Amino acid sequence: MRFMVIVKSTPEIEKECALPDPELLLEMGKYNEELMKAGVLLACDGLQPSSKGARVKFSGGSSTVIDGPFTEAKELIAGFSILQAKSLEEAIEWVKRSPNCNPGVDSEVEIRQVFEMEEFAPILTEEQIQHKVAKRAELPLQTANK
Amino acid sequence: MRFMVIVKSSPENEKEGFRPDPQLLAEMGKFNEELIKAGVVLAMDGLHPSRKGARVKFSGTHRTVIDGPFTEAKELIAGFWLWQVKSLEEAIEWVKRCPHPHGSDSEIEIRQVFEMEDFAPVLSEEQIQHKVAKRAELPLQTANK
Repeated sequence: MRFMVIVKSTPEIEKECALPDPELLLEMGKYNEELMKAGVLLACDGLQPSSKGARVKFSGGSSTVIDGPFTEAKELIAGFSILQAKSLEEAIEWVKRSPNCNPGVDSEVEIRQVFEMEEFAPILTEEQIQHKVAKRAELPLQTANK
Repeated sequence: MRFMVIVKSSPENEKEGFRPDPQLLAEMGKFNEELIKAGVVLAMDGLHPSRKGARVKFSGTHRTVIDGPFTEAKELIAGFWLWQVKSLEEAIEWVKRCPHPHGSDSEIEIRQVFEMEDFAPVLSEEQIQHKVAKRAELPLQTANK
């Protein structure tokens, strides 16, 4: 099963021109290498502060663009990884061992199960599913269930 | 430049046994094929409702696990893409063309992804190259083209 691990942001992380603390970067690096050795880590990335981003709101037939930054840092994502694990419980155990990305403040990591194309069997035909699987396999670096 | 394009959730997405509307799924499929043809998509995935998930709260050395589901659907993620485009503006233009559920409001957030080289002010060249090399080993890590 694949899980997306979503690291929530904090006001510190959201600061303009904020770069992660180098010691934390190296600690996270070690932790990620452990995950890789265990065959658990499929992908990971950090996100720049929301000042470099935007939101697009859709309502009825129209869309509105809102430039960052956005308030409510804890609703924002600071980074994510994709893990391969046998169960949610295993994913939780791995996450609990992660270095604390925000030693001085309380923070949160969310773990969500990723949809596999085969799970759309109730609403798509086998052919449609295989088409989706094949298309995804062509993507430069799509993670896939092992 | 790489961007994470985050599709926010909705109460509909969070329902028990949720599966996307086949019509919307078909429209999304076409949109994705356009994106892929244009060489924009690096990766993409949809997420199960939060009842199949959990949160881990970090407080110093304490870890507290809270099982899903979680309220505030609009704070949750329903799915995401990773894109390679020239600028935030280009990403915005693509997002504006994204199919969306009719008859309800929805939101997509676009966030720039850190490249290891962005850490030059805080890491040595050697440390950066080590990170780049490690990431290149990941089964399917996306990387800036």
